[in-house]
Amino acid sequence: MPIWLELLTLLLITYAAGIAIGWLLWGSAPAEREDLS
Amino acid sequence: MLRNPLVPTLSGALFVALLALAAAQLSAGDIAARLSRQANDAIAQAGIRGVEAHFVTLSGAPTRHARLTGGERLDDAARDRAARAVAEVPGVGGVHWRDSSRGSQGSAEAARPLNCQEDVEALLRTRTIRFEEGSARIDAASRELVDEVADALRPCLGSIIAVTGHSDAAGPETDNVALSYARAEAVRLALVARGIPADGLRARGVGSSAPVEGLDPADPANRRIEFSVIEAVPLNPTPVDPPGTRVTVTR
Repeated sequence: MPIWLELLTLLLITYAAGIAIGWLLWGSAPAEREDLS
Repeated sequence: MLRNPLVPTLSGALFVALLALAAAQLSAGDIAARLSRQANDAIAQAGIRGVEAHFVTLSGAPTRHARLTGGERLDDAARDRAARAVAEVPGVGGVHWRDSSRGSQGSAEAARPLNCQEDVEALLRTRTIRFEEGSARIDAASRELVDEVADALRPCLGSIIAVTGHSDAAGPETDNVALSYARAEAVRLALVARGIPADGLRARGVGSSAPVEGLDPADPANRRIEFSVIEAVPLNPTPVDPPGTRVTVTR
């Protein structure tokens, strides 16, 4: 597996985990929050 | 104002992907070069000549997974030593030979005799899997021991392993057989839950018909679970398997 693919996978998983945690904590995607938009 | 969350979420993902590709572009070559230098040093230190570690994929991209070339005339032990030396370099993701599919531990695994039964027996020599009184529920204190038994059985994956329950001679023998079977089955299920394939495990209960040698059949110490390899099957049947390292029926 090339390094670029490992890095891409790792960062995308981290990003998805961040989105999921945010969703669980605040009940919506960050962009749905009124105070952020 | 509410917006469709999909657009910023996907934009974020795209940004992250570009970031990853840019970071890889900047650092992958250096990482592979460092690994290559360290791996080839490690091979030299292991006293192996003629083997080279390459950290590029077949398409030419830098990778953490080493491809070893050369060493065609080396014996399995030397090839394995070289692969292990490379595998121990921090950051190396995996090692394989260009001319075979064997991994860094391939030949060592194949040459290792099947000794999981002895490992399990060693574990159970001083400790026993205990059950709640008159029941087939594994005692909470014994769960750690079951974990260790599962770890010890893991090298035997692919073999058929018998889990045999024994009881003492107290009470009617039909009940003893039923309880010893139920306990063996409980252990089997506990091992399955720990990742040992169900089709490789056979549970059986023999009641008090096979007491521990030298013990009175009524002695409670006869209550026990035994493991035996009844059919050994090599994990990776390949032509490089040295003959005679896998045993059949050891009990």
